[in-house]
Amino acid sequence: MLRKTLSAIAFAAGLVSAASIQADDIEIGAVFPLSGPNATYGDIFMSGADLAARHINEDEMLSGNLNILYEDSQALPQQGVVAMNKLINVEGVPYVLSAFTGVSKAISTLAQRSETVAVNGGGVGPDLAELGEYFWNVIPLANNEVGALARYAVEDLGHKRFTLVYVDDPLGESILGELEKTLPELGAELVESHSIAASAQQFSSVAARVRSDNPDVVYVASYGSQQLQIVKQLRDNGVKAQIASYSAFSVPELQEQAEAQGALFTTQSIDWDSDDPVTKRFVDDYKAEHDKNPTSYIANYYNAVRVFGLLAQALEEQDKELTGANLLAQRKATETFELVGGEVSFQENGTLQAPIQVLEVDGSGSGKVVSVKAAE
Amino acid sequence: MLFLQLLANGLQVGAIYALTAAGFSLIFGSTKIFHFAHGATFAIAAYLFHFALAGLGLHWTFAVAVAALSAVVFGVLLDRLMYAPIQRHEGSFFTVFVASFGIGIVVQNLLGSVFGRGFMSVSTPLSNSIEVMPGLYLSPLNGLAVVVAIVCFVALHFFMTHTFIGKGLRALSENPELVRTFGLSPRRLSTYAFALGSLLVVPGAIFTAAGTGINPAVGHHVMLISLAATIVGGIGSLRGAACAGLLIGVAENLAMWKLGTQWSEAITFAILFFFIIFKPSGFFGRATVS
Repeated sequence: MLRKTLSAIAFAAGLVSAASIQADDIEIGAVFPLSGPNATYGDIFMSGADLAARHINEDEMLSGNLNILYEDSQALPQQGVVAMNKLINVEGVPYVLSAFTGVSKAISTLAQRSETVAVNGGGVGPDLAELGEYFWNVIPLANNEVGALARYAVEDLGHKRFTLVYVDDPLGESILGELEKTLPELGAELVESHSIAASAQQFSSVAARVRSDNPDVVYVASYGSQQLQIVKQLRDNGVKAQIASYSAFSVPELQEQAEAQGALFTTQSIDWDSDDPVTKRFVDDYKAEHDKNPTSYIANYYNAVRVFGLLAQALEEQDKELTGANLLAQRKATETFELVGGEVSFQENGTLQAPIQVLEVDGSGSGKVVSVKAAE
Repeated sequence: MLFLQLLANGLQVGAIYALTAAGFSLIFGSTKIFHFAHGATFAIAAYLFHFALAGLGLHWTFAVAVAALSAVVFGVLLDRLMYAPIQRHEGSFFTVFVASFGIGIVVQNLLGSVFGRGFMSVSTPLSNSIEVMPGLYLSPLNGLAVVVAIVCFVALHFFMTHTFIGKGLRALSENPELVRTFGLSPRRLSTYAFALGSLLVVPGAIFTAAGTGINPAVGHHVMLISLAATIVGGIGSLRGAACAGLLIGVAENLAMWKLGTQWSEAITFAILFFFIIFKPSGFFGRATVS
């Protein structure tokens, strides 16, 4: 009798244990700026990632609840490496969301060495496409964005003279390189480029230099609070040229800034009114939760988490472990992904390619599309 | 014309630096407390000015009063509730510095939590430049910053040389023991130093909120400049810190006349290194509150 009772208890305990293993949380990491002058981006990125995790859990796509462990990079490479080390060595996550070109480049070697997938949805430096097979991008990179804007400004608006104000970091350098390469091909010229420190806040004299360049277009390659300060001080100090930038201009603060109205910027092309079920659900639920329209950054991090959900679901169906190596193999084996914006596929180098839209800041919160250019 | 434009911009920036640096120098010279949270005072004044003006819709004079009151209260509370207990327990210079540094970080995060972590600016036509000569654009803020700085320094000079408290503060920077012998309280004088030093950041904070805009980390840059100006001006010298602040502001901007824009911030440190190597006592020789 005692033996039967013990056997029953052991069996029940086994079942409970198996059930708890089945129901274990599945964790992925994120290295976002959660403090400092770029923390506003962290909030934006998190809203997209959290919504995707919520949808994955509601749909019970995975055997356990998907959790995202957030670590603060402050948008600084050094802090990013510390955060990435913690996620890999302490938390043991197989998949990490990354943001900002400098941070992404800094953590990419750790990702490669530990066979952990790192996915960028915010940095746009073109060399992010060359950081090894464990580093993926769910955002078109600056070479695509700069090229699309330059083509629109030159071919559609007839502008010829460009001046660049760029932050002295890998992103700024890469945009400088792209403009130097692209503009002469279009018959335009980069008249002058003004490098600024990442911590600089006074731009009245930079504005004076820009004015003396007499450009048709001022391309601003910065991010966070600094880009808003640049735009305000350019306009306050008499710069009347067309202001242009890349997807960093899609943050709400800039969209609402009085001095930024009329500025041009680029993002990947997403039709927010699309009827495809993934995009529609994302847009509807985001609007319901936040009472405003989503932006491309939010879609990018939604997509980054959704890619994990789709890959992990496929691996679980094959009874395979959720490791970085298996996720990479599964991504290579998957031809297309149903993501926000439609059906997309990864290029060989792990970067999504998408058409680019040129938008004008119009106070609506997400900008007015003025042109769509195919990716080149 | 570019030179004139850069000089005009430099004078405005220099005036703000001079006031902030003089505040830090007054506190450090009188109390020997390395008040790293001076930058936090600047940020608090700027944010509360913005909140009072844009958030509460108060008249700008009331908004200035709110900013001034908040800066003074913050400085005095910090002195009374943090620095005084540390000094009572004979905490080292380093202990005070770390505590002050920590407060700076706490304030930055609190401001971010309360007001948001993004960029804010006061929308005012005073920051819009107009072309006064071909190629020379000036905004009313340019002139206002310089005028306010001059008025503040004249008032400060009068206060330090003609009032009992001012003379007490100068004495405190020279010899705290002698101050005690004459029946004055160094602790009370320390509170006055914090109140006055904190008040001096208010014009700079307001002009920054209107001119360049603010974010929770705005105090770091201010602190860096104040520290450099205090060393360049001669530790403890109010006049030195003010001149050094002005020099750094003008040099930062004039550097762009011939050098690339990326050299602007490096100029501050070039000046600092120059003084450390060739004139370590700073502009005015010895450390005094003058």
